[in-house]
Amino acid sequence: MSCHRLTTTGVALCALAFTAGCGKEESGGVVKGDTIKLGAALSLTGQLAREGQLTKEGYELCASRINEKGGVKVGDKRYKIAITYRDDKSEPDTAGQLVDRFNDEGIKLVLGPYGSSSTEAAAAVIEKNKQVMVEGAGADDKIFEKGYTQTFAVLSPATQYAASMVKAVAELAKPKPKTVVFLTADDGFSKTVTEGGEAEAKKQGIKVLATESFPEGATDVSSALTKVRGKNADLVLGSVHLEEGIAIIKQSGELGVKPAGGFGETVAPPTPDFVKTLGDSAEGVLGSTQWVPQVKGEDKYFGTAADYAKAYEAKYGRDPEYHNAEATAACLALALGLEKAGSTDTQKVRDSVAGLDEETFFGSIDFNEQGENETKPMSVIQIQGGKPVTVWPTEQAESELRWPAAG
Amino acid sequence: MTEFLQSTVYGLLQGGLLALVAVGFSLVWGVMNVVNLAHGTFVVLGSYVAWQLNKSAGVDPFLGMFAAAACLFVAGYAVHMLLINQVIKAPIWMTLLLTFGLELVLINAMVLLFSGDFRSINTGWAGDAIALGDVRIPYGRLAGFLVAVGLTLALVAFMSRTRLGLAIKATGMDRDAARLMGIRARRVYATTFAIAAAMAGAAGAIVGTVGTFSPASAPAFTLQSFVIAVLGGLGNMWGALAGGLVLGLVQSWGGQYLSGTLVTAVAFGVLVAVLIVRPAGLLGKPYYEARVET
Repeated sequence: MSCHRLTTTGVALCALAFTAGCGKEESGGVVKGDTIKLGAALSLTGQLAREGQLTKEGYELCASRINEKGGVKVGDKRYKIAITYRDDKSEPDTAGQLVDRFNDEGIKLVLGPYGSSSTEAAAAVIEKNKQVMVEGAGADDKIFEKGYTQTFAVLSPATQYAASMVKAVAELAKPKPKTVVFLTADDGFSKTVTEGGEAEAKKQGIKVLATESFPEGATDVSSALTKVRGKNADLVLGSVHLEEGIAIIKQSGELGVKPAGGFGETVAPPTPDFVKTLGDSAEGVLGSTQWVPQVKGEDKYFGTAADYAKAYEAKYGRDPEYHNAEATAACLALALGLEKAGSTDTQKVRDSVAGLDEETFFGSIDFNEQGENETKPMSVIQIQGGKPVTVWPTEQAESELRWPAAG
Repeated sequence: MTEFLQSTVYGLLQGGLLALVAVGFSLVWGVMNVVNLAHGTFVVLGSYVAWQLNKSAGVDPFLGMFAAAACLFVAGYAVHMLLINQVIKAPIWMTLLLTFGLELVLINAMVLLFSGDFRSINTGWAGDAIALGDVRIPYGRLAGFLVAVGLTLALVAFMSRTRLGLAIKATGMDRDAARLMGIRARRVYATTFAIAAAMAGAAGAIVGTVGTFSPASAPAFTLQSFVIAVLGGLGNMWGALAGGLVLGLVQSWGGQYLSGTLVTAVAFGVLVAVLIVRPAGLLGKPYYEARVET
């Protein structure tokens, strides 16, 4: 339907069509000439614009690298990869709608949006339309408990985010912490992370003294900190996003929360903004991350993790963040799936992705029944000398864990 | 007991800041009948001005605050003359639409200019705290609170003691009558809008020092301003101060004694409760309700 006809139907409808970008793209199949079209609905504006942009860079790097190497070999033909990007404005509903539009346009192979909420919304649509989605930015286990068969995540699952830090200190810290408190944002993902962390703490014989929550996106976490201050736990672990993670460290300084061991926070410490924003007070904080340049494994497109970091630096002029790597890994998994399938038929690609067992720059990619990449461990970093340094698992370690971490 | 005192102190300090964030919003709404949905972006712009000065010239944010206020004053004046003034007599929906659009444009402009990264202005001293027994009072927040309350009080004095302040009030009460008295309504409006933006800019500098900010923080500031303005009473500077302190305390106590996730619900619950008992807000006066609408 053309924009012109919509205009005559009504101003409101046309406005809707305009915001959705009507008339920009023609519809076509999965394959057009010697190009395979992939779709990606990303948060290019709105609250998650930053992470959305990093994800886009990861996809771009994947497409350009694969195309430089001649494209993806499917059967005896080589195809270039072209990715159509649309902006979900950081709204999960919009992500779902955009994925539906990809389907209307014949784009069956989709790369994930940024974040668990958008991914969850998109996964439901993907399932309904029998599209295939490989994603690297939605780790909430909830997405994979619904019996979906068409969505695959290259990530370690959410339950590992805090659990990996518990494992790291249990294995490396001397003295081993006896007690821990959890601080958690109240979104589904962070809660799953915390539950995973609590379970692991029990397993490791570390006593959980309290778990306090605050709203997602909070820049004031003083109430939660005041509540846990009197507990004097050896370890304070936060299931957070960047802004809450920064607030915890900042306000702990203000309020005098000083764990004997140290602080650990999911996802926040590895991002460059964490150290930039906090300066010296970031020192010693532990963090967990999906990827570091020390990850073992290599693949034919990107080589090792260190090679990937170099390739990224050459293209964008700065070091890659894990967001970039996980996006590239999702795209890479889809490409490897296409090659192994030897066909562009959607269901064949799906089956082939499901059966992948590959070593890559991102670590191993091997999906379980639910579509999660369980075999890949998370890496634990510690801020040392103003930089995130990998300390666990030991085969990736650049440096020893400093303990106690604070002071 | 320590927990109660600590959360009360924190709530008050936070409340003073919130008051400064909201006071301009309340002023513009009360005087001009414009609900400025772009108010939050002025706050964040102020944060960026102070951040940039701190980063490139090492200016302390409590000095950078004045630069932020000055920049935003000029920007606010221009925005009013170029945009808001075009729809000042149109139904309120037009101003809502215009300022909402302005907010989107400004947020995305900031994303382009500064990226969507989270920032915070680092000072050597703001994160330290005075310890009174177990209750700690962070220097940065205390300074922010004092500046915020000082600026709000200065605005109160300005509005009731100076010719310009009185002209603003008069124009707010009856635009046409004020014009007949020789007040240039257009300029008065532009000045009001500029003052509001300047206050927001100053607030932004402090907020950016004690907390974090990114372009995406803007809508939250607008929402808080909305709650505080309605809670305190429109157009009333004392009202904004009272509204800010109440909101700060409620959020702090709510987080302390209820589940942390209920903070926002509690804040809005208090707003609803206050409006049931006092529809004009805590300190709202019939004065503003009875004014002549044109």
